[in-house]
Amino acid sequence: MSGRPVVTPVTAALFITVLLIAACGLVYELVAGALASYLLGDSVTQFSTVIGTYLFAMGIGSWLSRYIGKGLIARFVIIELLVGVIGGFSSTILFLAFSYTDAFRPLLYGLVLVIGILVGLEIPLLMRILRDRFDFKDVVANVLTFDYVGALGASLLFPLVLVPRLGLVRSALVFGVVNVLVALWSTRLFRESLPRRGWFIGVGIAALAALGVGLAGASRITALAEEGLYADPVILARDTKYQRVVVTSWKDDLRLHLNGHLQFSSRDEYRYHETLVHPGLAPLADAARAAGRTLRVLVLGGGDGLAVREVLRYPAVQSVTLVDLDAEVTSLFRSHPRLSTLNAHAFDDARVRVINADAFVWLDGAADRFDYVIVDFPDPSNFSVGKLYTTAFYRALARRVAEHGFVTVQATSPLFARSAYWTIVETMREAGWQVWPFHVYVPSFGEWGYVLAGHAPWTPPSEAAMPAGLRFLSARAVPALFDFPVDMGRVAAQANHLNDQVLVRTYEQEWARINR
Amino acid sequence: MVSRRAAIAAAVAVPAGVLLGAPALVGLLRKAPRRVTGGFVDDGSAVGHALRDGTRPAAPARRERVPIVILGGGVSGLGAAWALAREGLRDFVVLESAREAGGNARSGEMEGMRHPWGAHYLPVPDARNTLVRELCTDIGLLRDGVWDERALAFAPQERLFQHGTWHEGIEPSFALTRAERDELTRFDATMAEWRARDAFAVPSVECAARTAREWRALDRQTMGEWLTAQGYRTPALRWLVDYGVRDDYGASLETASAWAGVHYFAGRPAHDAGPLTWPEGNAWLIARLLERVGPRVRTNAPVWRVGREGARWTIDTADIRYEADAVIAAMPVHALARVLDGVSPAPVTLDRSPWLVANVLLDRWPEERGLPVAWDNVIYDSPSLGYVVATHQSLRTEQARSVWTWYHAPVERDAASARRWLRDLSWGEARDLVLNDLRRAHPDIDGCVARVDVLRYGHAMPRPTPGFLDATAALRAWQPGPRFALAHTDASGLSLFEEALERGVSAARQVREALRA
Ligand SMILES: Cc1cc2nc3c(=O)[nH]c(=O)nc-3n(C[C@H](O)[C@H](O)[C@H](O)COP(=O)(O)OP(=O)(O)OC[C@H]3O[C@@H](n4cnc5c(N)ncnc54)[C@H](O)[C@@H]3O)c2cc1C
Repeated sequence: MSGRPVVTPVTAALFITVLLIAACGLVYELVAGALASYLLGDSVTQFSTVIGTYLFAMGIGSWLSRYIGKGLIARFVIIELLVGVIGGFSSTILFLAFSYTDAFRPLLYGLVLVIGILVGLEIPLLMRILRDRFDFKDVVANVLTFDYVGALGASLLFPLVLVPRLGLVRSALVFGVVNVLVALWSTRLFRESLPRRGWFIGVGIAALAALGVGLAGASRITALAEEGLYADPVILARDTKYQRVVVTSWKDDLRLHLNGHLQFSSRDEYRYHETLVHPGLAPLADAARAAGRTLRVLVLGGGDGLAVREVLRYPAVQSVTLVDLDAEVTSLFRSHPRLSTLNAHAFDDARVRVINADAFVWLDGAADRFDYVIVDFPDPSNFSVGKLYTTAFYRALARRVAEHGFVTVQATSPLFARSAYWTIVETMREAGWQVWPFHVYVPSFGEWGYVLAGHAPWTPPSEAAMPAGLRFLSARAVPALFDFPVDMGRVAAQANHLNDQVLVRTYEQEWARINR
Repeated sequence: MVSRRAAIAAAVAVPAGVLLGAPALVGLLRKAPRRVTGGFVDDGSAVGHALRDGTRPAAPARRERVPIVILGGGVSGLGAAWALAREGLRDFVVLESAREAGGNARSGEMEGMRHPWGAHYLPVPDARNTLVRELCTDIGLLRDGVWDERALAFAPQERLFQHGTWHEGIEPSFALTRAERDELTRFDATMAEWRARDAFAVPSVECAARTAREWRALDRQTMGEWLTAQGYRTPALRWLVDYGVRDDYGASLETASAWAGVHYFAGRPAHDAGPLTWPEGNAWLIARLLERVGPRVRTNAPVWRVGREGARWTIDTADIRYEADAVIAAMPVHALARVLDGVSPAPVTLDRSPWLVANVLLDRWPEERGLPVAWDNVIYDSPSLGYVVATHQSLRTEQARSVWTWYHAPVERDAASARRWLRDLSWGEARDLVLNDLRRAHPDIDGCVARVDVLRYGHAMPRPTPGFLDATAALRAWQPGPRFALAHTDASGLSLFEEALERGVSAARQVREALRA
């Protein structure tokens, strides 16, 4: 061949091929790294090990290329098709594997290895294909140039466009499509030297179709993966205006999850709810009965009606007002046969009134006073819910509680989130409440914490004060709830305010440590 | 054989087709942009411009005798009224040209959500600032040394968008070299030291730095020149300081006096629990002031002539000529110049900063990266000042919609051409300016915005350029006639709530003393 390279259409097209496949290769690597960081945390480790494995695999691919003697073009097309399909579906496979199997890590590195080997084969093969059309020094220079340019393009595209616009599942699929199109295009480019062309085209179109189906169903795949995070069969899943409600069931165990967080398991929820309601309410009901008075009870949160079920055990209770944001949750627990059985049809009791409203705003606007208030909100895991755990909230609450009344607040786990728990206690104290912290063991949750608070002295209930039919709590057991073992004991904490939300930060740190 | 041209065309078209077509194939291309409604909001400049252009209404038929007349119902005018009322005085009126009092602290409402149109916060006043603390105590914000928690900006208070994600706080602290970090530390340390020396304070008129020669030297140079002279080159630091002077003064490193720039950092404690803020911004404070002096405030009452008749001041509005012993001028000096008749004009004119404010109605929230939405949201290296979330001070846990107040001080042009640019701006251009800016941090903003309302301020506030200490001292000494006091923040040169209140209260004291004499 002559010294000066001739830019034929075919060679120009080939260099663009190099650019595209380089971009694809890098995208798969970035997808794997990002996905592993996202699901496993610790992005430095995930990216380092993924990149290392990938580069090493490319080395294996390059080394293997020596064993490909003839049929270079057919081999190249096959590799493109394989990379397209495997790389394209890599993030889908990994997402689902994380949810449904224990084999995420082996699969991750396995996939990275396979894709890396295939990508490692691409460039050496292409160079050899081009060798016959070009001077060798030009082949090396041009191929590597386009390779690096493609990599740059991909690395910019990935954080700026792909992840924000498409997400990880779709990004990989889109680049899978690119790989397969490169394969199809190569069958056209090299139609003279490619045997069984029709067969390759057929396979290519099938691969495109598969990737297309993947793209169309990408959001379903993400949802499917999420459902896989639940251990038990899902019997009901619903997106309300505010949250994702999932009910799972396994034999006699019924579980409610809101936004992926377990709210209760029917196997042990009675432990949680009896402890939430009775230590504060039993003494009040006892005194009311003796004096011939009735009680007004307020439940904030707790749209499942399980706390209301406990409250309704007292004849002295004249009314129960339940304020919960989500009308779909309260109506679900009123009408669903299994769920309403669980709360003993609490919402059908004439004493119960359900109000669907944002609790803080409702509390501010309310004029009534209550003898007993149960505050059962989701944990303070974000700044929005965090507002419901501030001195401002507990001050507003105080205005709605009768002079001799009490409140009980669910206050996350004093074992897993010890500082967060004592922050809540301190916040109530700073808001002017006298506080009695206590806790209980709920198998499906672990150790759980509450704060009982009031403005008058509290004494534990007598045996006679406890309602009939309890499955867990007895008067004898109550004082023990107020004793904290050393590892959950009080720690110094600052009160939580609207303008600092120290609780959300503490909570986040502590649970992050547990969930690692 | 395919022709060479066709092949090259194919070589370009096919990959381009792949890249563009693949997403289109599966419906991933962006939908046509949704319709955004909105328009310009009345800036109240019509009256001023008519006066400037020489239109003079006929002399009013009715006369009313009122011992003290306050011109302008912004913070300074209402502050003066508050001070008079606290002394038990009732024989005064406040004349305000707009439909509602408030001036730069006015507010609006979008679909039931209140939002500021201008001033939106008050920093927690430090112990030295007794006057503002008095007001806060009077209106129930401060009780037994404890601030009303609901008025302090909710967490997270501030965030900065940089390197593709949101970080807490607005000081850039990400991806800096050692040398850059050292420079930021050196700057912070210098400001901390100067703060400790107590020379700069808010309100500023009485503070030592206004008179001490060592500090006055700062007023001979711009903040940019001073930074350069001190060896501050780090872009992140220069950005932060530029942001500060744009935010408070509508000025830039190239135009702000170094004295004013330093005051921004050294005049207040470094950290406090605040600021104090409300959904409608400082209009909340205006409402509290109006609870105290409201009956004396006459709105829709532009003053178009102020002159003297014998020993009295005469103040003309459309239907009433007020005859007053004393006048408190709480309107900006450039507007005052147009209405003063037959008395000596103000000795100086001040540069004034134009502003552009937009209120953006969102019917859903954009996706977030990094720290969740804060009260004040700043985009690094953006020409805008970012946005304040008007619904942030809500006690709701769930908010489907929101209003964002977006601020922009156009400093890239000189004030006069910026004003012309503002005047000629169409609403569509303003909307694009806002959305393009928000898109830097929120790629999906177009799908969230339903409405953009825009307010243009041609002469929003005095701009503290080098030499402003002398200029404002001359304004404070200016006496166009007996029993006259200038209350507007122009007399301080720093447009801040605290300055306005202090100027108003001090003007009230001044005329009371003059009346007693
Ligand atoms: C966009 C913007 C944001 C700001 N943000 C803040 C902030 O967050 N915090 C802060 O402390 N400060 C802020 N400021 C500064 C603000 O200007 C001051 O805090 C304060 O409101 C100034 O009050 P003032 O009374 O001195 O002046 P103005 O508010 O200018 O009041 C002057 C009044 O005089 C009236 N007037 C004018 N001409 C006439 C006439 N001929 N007859 C009758 N009345 C007349 C006007 O209508 C107006 O009501 C901001 C300013 C702007 C423009």
